[in-house]
Amino acid sequence: MTIKTRLAGGVASAALALGAAAPAMAEGELNLLTWEGYADPSFIAPFEEATGCTVSATYVGSNDDFAPRLAAGGGVFDLVSPSSDSTAPLITAGFVDPIDTSRLDRWDELYERFRTSEGINSDGQVYGVPYAWGAIAFMYKPDAFETPPRSLDALMDPALEGKVALWDDKSAIYVAARMNGDMDIYNLSDEQIAAAQETLGEMRSNVRKYWSSAGELVDLFASGEVVLSNTWAGYQSALLAEQGIEVVEFIPEENAEGWMDSWMVVSGTPNEDCAYQFLNMAISEAGQCGVASVNGYSVANPVAARECMTPEQFEALHQDDPAYLDSLLLWENLGPRLGAYTNAWNAVKSQ
Amino acid sequence: MSLAEPLPEARLRARRWTAMRRYLVLSPPLLWTVVFMFVPYLTLVVYSVWRAEFPLAVPDFQFGNYVTIFTDPQYRNVFLRTLKIASLVSLCALLLAFPYAYFLVFRVRSPGWRLALYMAVVAPLWVSYLLRAYTWKTILGTNGILNSFLISAGLIDEPLTVLLYNQAAMVLTLTYVFIPFMVMPIYAALEKIPPSLHEASADLGEGHLSTFFKVTLPLAMPGVIAGFTMTFCLSFGDFIAPMLVGGPDGQMIAGVIATQFGAALNWPLGSALALTMLVFILVLISASDRLERVGQGRLA
Repeated sequence: MTIKTRLAGGVASAALALGAAAPAMAEGELNLLTWEGYADPSFIAPFEEATGCTVSATYVGSNDDFAPRLAAGGGVFDLVSPSSDSTAPLITAGFVDPIDTSRLDRWDELYERFRTSEGINSDGQVYGVPYAWGAIAFMYKPDAFETPPRSLDALMDPALEGKVALWDDKSAIYVAARMNGDMDIYNLSDEQIAAAQETLGEMRSNVRKYWSSAGELVDLFASGEVVLSNTWAGYQSALLAEQGIEVVEFIPEENAEGWMDSWMVVSGTPNEDCAYQFLNMAISEAGQCGVASVNGYSVANPVAARECMTPEQFEALHQDDPAYLDSLLLWENLGPRLGAYTNAWNAVKSQ
Repeated sequence: MSLAEPLPEARLRARRWTAMRRYLVLSPPLLWTVVFMFVPYLTLVVYSVWRAEFPLAVPDFQFGNYVTIFTDPQYRNVFLRTLKIASLVSLCALLLAFPYAYFLVFRVRSPGWRLALYMAVVAPLWVSYLLRAYTWKTILGTNGILNSFLISAGLIDEPLTVLLYNQAAMVLTLTYVFIPFMVMPIYAALEKIPPSLHEASADLGEGHLSTFFKVTLPLAMPGVIAGFTMTFCLSFGDFIAPMLVGGPDGQMIAGVIATQFGAALNWPLGSALALTMLVFILVLISASDRLERVGQGRLA
């Protein structure tokens, strides 16, 4: 868990586009606990106008924020959007309700891999509506490399001493495990986790900084501190491109993790009708192209994506290439093993 | 009225009313203390003997979390590192603050100048801590202000990378951020020393140096101890500096505690860690309090 992001999340709680709806239509107020960009006025305002549901959003900086926020007491949020590896605590603790997929017009259009994924299915019931996805790719500054890096071994290259950044997250364990040849990264044994911890320890002389927010990684690249890091594919590279800084993303030979965010309905929400209207909007063209344009993420409904994206964007976001999605190691719930992973990562940082 | 005589009913009632009014006046702060101090601490104590079990925690009564803290080397490492950083920060702040306060009190003649120089140290407190710490990033970075200056002055050819993202940068940043808390009590202590004592010391044939060590320093000790304690406690509990200017070896204990409440989802261990650190700091504060009083007693 990172503090800066948590601070940012706390103060970034923002009410969006209030009062846009005609009072006669007003049906309820939706409170979202979500990522920045997932409640962007560009598609939220039309939704409010069409349905009379008002939407306000509180932003999180990390997947670790969802469970503690909901555990701290309820009645505040109606919809949350955690990544599929962070859903288990919410489902097990009963913080979220099952989804009635018959109320979602376009449910069947979503990627089957997502609809059936373990992250949102439990005891024969569906708990999440897939929304957006992407890879945890790596990115580098091309001018710092004579031969472009293709493998994770580059992280250990003595020539890159103090020039590498790594996401301050259990994802670091996944990276190190793959470097050790342990590809079943979500079911590592204690010995494999210990080996990953050791690999990360050896890597430390190369690491300049463990980054914890998108902005921090952008700063590290922009100020020339680092030349290689893992990244949320499509997001930080776009922010760097805006500053005129060239970076290249790549999927290493050892493969990459993938993430998928889904909307979940908080238990006992008094605004269920609005919540379902929102879910329907989210997986339609409005929501799908909304998030793709704002955040640069790939989306869960390829049918809607084809409708509303340019061919270039459709291709750039790998919506045309099911093999790309299939190749990613989609984040999984670690369940009771979460402690072993986070403990190992903390031990690396305490060395 | 003699004590043997029973109080008349009316007077008793009036006295009871006075007592009640006293409680009424006290009740808002009392309520505040109960709701925002006792209840949270009690929750922390209760959680610390619970057991982490997926997804959150289950009630229990055991001390496994405390055993973990004292046996797992990662907590000892981070604790010792935090201790080291906080001590270095307090020491650096003291070495800078004492001469400065001394200069202000005994060398600056004009009260206007004295106030201006005093405010120069205190005023940064009005600026957000986050902002002040962030500024150091821009100064110390590879393409930062300091490196640009050194290169343009011809002192170095390549930018220095050792300036940022390590423990030295953390000590520097924290010293800068917390130095007002060192200057203020030392200044106050020095200001209270009557000039006559210095004159008396001179009359008795003591030189500047021995006057300083025999008169000024002992009298300033309460301020030094107060400043040292405050700076130490503030930097001990810091988690912003490691995040902004610390490197891969920058994790401090407050960051570890925060992780337990977030990523690790281990509230029981986090609570036990927080309480352990709380006890450590309380022991430190009471020790420093005693030290301060001993110092004053000797000179009284």
